[in-house]
Amino acid sequence: MKDSIIIAIPSHPKYLSVVRAVTGKMGELCDIDESGIEDMKLAVDEACTNVIKHAYKGDVSRKIVLKYKITRKAFKVSIEDSGIKARIDLLKGRNLNEIRPGGLGIHLIRRVFDVLAFDEREKNGNRLVLIKYLKGKK
Amino acid sequence: MNIDIADYKGQKIVAISGEIDMYSSPELREQMMVLIKKKISPLFVDFKGVSYIDSSGIATFVEGLKCMKRYGGRLQFFGIPLGIMEIFRFSKLDRVFEIYGNIDDAINS
Repeated sequence: MKDSIIIAIPSHPKYLSVVRAVTGKMGELCDIDESGIEDMKLAVDEACTNVIKHAYKGDVSRKIVLKYKITRKAFKVSIEDSGIKARIDLLKGRNLNEIRPGGLGIHLIRRVFDVLAFDEREKNGNRLVLIKYLKGKK
Repeated sequence: MNIDIADYKGQKIVAISGEIDMYSSPELREQMMVLIKKKISPLFVDFKGVSYIDSSGIATFVEGLKCMKRYGGRLQFFGIPLGIMEIFRFSKLDRVFEIYGNIDDAINS
């Protein structure tokens, strides 16, 4: 099994629902259970939200490219932007015991995906790679 | 997302339905802040119709709670669906927000 699709959305929050819908449908192709799909939709939404907030500083006229790839062993999605380079400290998130708005998104991504990494080869913008290994799949 | 503000037994209830995300949370914030500026307390939030919430939505409630605490207000949630409750637990916010099964439990607390 090998499926891949690419979608490009404007960096406007109204398109996050489209990202969630596509992520959900791709999750269904992997036979991921309903709860797992909901978690993945949230995680990919959070990654795109971070792009809008941090890489594009709220500019809704830019572009986000999502590349989904499903193999027998993994569900992979990369999220590409042409905005400000991500700071590595954004990958840490806030201490969950510290109650304040913000800093939660990265935890919601890490909770679902086994791999979360920025592709350092990108000279301009960011390419965030998220991989979830499909346990029990051959 | 749809927000319906209603009175129930003399209390203000904010009933939300649909998806709370980065797109819809500014409207939620605006409507909550109107009530918070009036120092409404307790303020009840009905989650029964909420199908999705992301960190932007959660941040809106954290901010609301912080504002309410300045005047000793109480923000009380009820009817939270299981999947959304799991997110509150994961983010340890189930210890921060007052969460009840239904409106009457919340009112009687």
